[in-house]
Amino acid sequence: MTVSVSDLVAAVQRADSALGLLQATQALAAAAHPEGAACLVEVLGFNNPGAAVAAVDGLIAIGTPAVDTILTNIDGYNYGARAWAVRALAGIGDVRGLEVLEDALGKDIGPSVRRAAARGLGQLRLEALVEAERQAVALRCLQALVEGCRDGEWVVRYAVAVGLEALAPALPAAAAQQRLRQALAALSQDPAEEAPVVQLRARLALRRLSLTDAAADPAASAL
Amino acid sequence: MLLPGLGPHHRDRAGGSIEPRQNGSLQSMSGSDGYGASGDPISEAEALRRLRQTDDPSAQYYAAWWLGRNRSRHPEAVPLLQEALRQRRPRDPGAGVEENAVARNAARALGKLGSPAAAAIPDLLATLEDEDHGLREAAARALGDLRATAAVPALCRRLATGPGVAGAMQPGTPRLQEPCEALLEALGEIGVADLEVVAVIRPFVAHERPLIRSAACRALLQLTGDGHWGQQLVALLQHPQLQVRRAALMDLGAAGWRPALGPIAATLAENSLKLIALRGLVETTAAPEAERGLGAATEAVLAAMDALL
Repeated sequence: MTVSVSDLVAAVQRADSALGLLQATQALAAAAHPEGAACLVEVLGFNNPGAAVAAVDGLIAIGTPAVDTILTNIDGYNYGARAWAVRALAGIGDVRGLEVLEDALGKDIGPSVRRAAARGLGQLRLEALVEAERQAVALRCLQALVEGCRDGEWVVRYAVAVGLEALAPALPAAAAQQRLRQALAALSQDPAEEAPVVQLRARLALRRLSLTDAAADPAASAL
Repeated sequence: MLLPGLGPHHRDRAGGSIEPRQNGSLQSMSGSDGYGASGDPISEAEALRRLRQTDDPSAQYYAAWWLGRNRSRHPEAVPLLQEALRQRRPRDPGAGVEENAVARNAARALGKLGSPAAAAIPDLLATLEDEDHGLREAAARALGDLRATAAVPALCRRLATGPGVAGAMQPGTPRLQEPCEALLEALGEIGVADLEVVAVIRPFVAHERPLIRSAACRALLQLTGDGHWGQQLVALLQHPQLQVRRAALMDLGAAGWRPALGPIAATLAENSLKLIALRGLVETTAAPEAERGLGAATEAVLAAMDALL
């Protein structure tokens, strides 16, 4: 016997305990059905971290068909819900989320929202775009992340380092590559940095990128 | 274990705070208890001026917090905070600031200022004898932050009567007789691992309140390095109350106990707190020397952090 999506949604709406909500959300998320998206977005605002994690996973599993629902339902008044929504957008990587992510990293008052946005700006899926558009989007991501290096919260600067590392393969222009590496180098060496973990993460990113560069070099010379 | 602060009214124990703040300026400080109006971005000179005057305690309260949050190095900061630490006021519900709130924030700020605040250790020791429970608590945490070995005998003396007396409920309040959590954490932070210190802390691992058990296990883990106490903290990550799981996360982070990596990542709690705990695993000097820097073990913690962003 199969359970319909509407039954799964009804179970989430009926849940009257934290555990009940968690289990019902997990079941709905596992279905990964676009019709469950609106209900999953609603769960993001319930202040139940376990259920929110499940709902984000579900929205990411639904992917592109969930993006409109997320974008139209972002809650401007609930930090937690907005952070989860930005995480879902970051995980889906749909380019329609670009503006929300830029805005969130630059202006959002909640560090958890800015940190999710920084990560998301490094992992937008750009393959489907035409070359000129792909470059333009990647440069906007780079610009937002470079500005994010000055964020007042360590966890956001940490996420910026992660975002920059992930963005690197999408940036073809040598000038942009150099700018990205300079931003990471500054994060890794800033004497005013209060969080050694940020410096370590930026160093790790630079080390991995230099390994990629080294691997790419012989191929280039063989041409 | 207290949680990272949401502004001048909360204590930040874990080296990070989650209050709204961006690009070096305070953009919003709207606390839940009505001090938001004083939460504007100010300069260091303005903070010192507000702390120096005594007509407006809520301005002093904010100024004291500001100096700590911004790690002021101004030569007047410590003397002014020492002065504010002595400021006592009767409870006046109309004044907007609670009894002794300025002194409490002064103690917290001194704890954040590091070595320049060493001059204030005798003042904090005197404050540890105050009859105000909240003030003793703030003083204990500040002494822990300052790694004040001179405070160990006084901290031990306050706890020496054990869970049955120091750790007994104060009738009619949610408080214990002593601020046990803060006293235990301070002993762990200061790091004097004498047998007598360990013997004073030990009975609190059986306290009826899980938050006290967590603080005691954390201190014992810091002082002895014995993984048994780390296992106790990991068990608390499964506690049915979110508040207890959060405390155990912060305590494992503060102790930097690397075997907790997997359990921390899997805990049902906010990612923000798990990230702070994992930062502790990366940064704390309690981690074995070989695992610091960018070894494989550190990379594993960083990978777990990446997944939580």
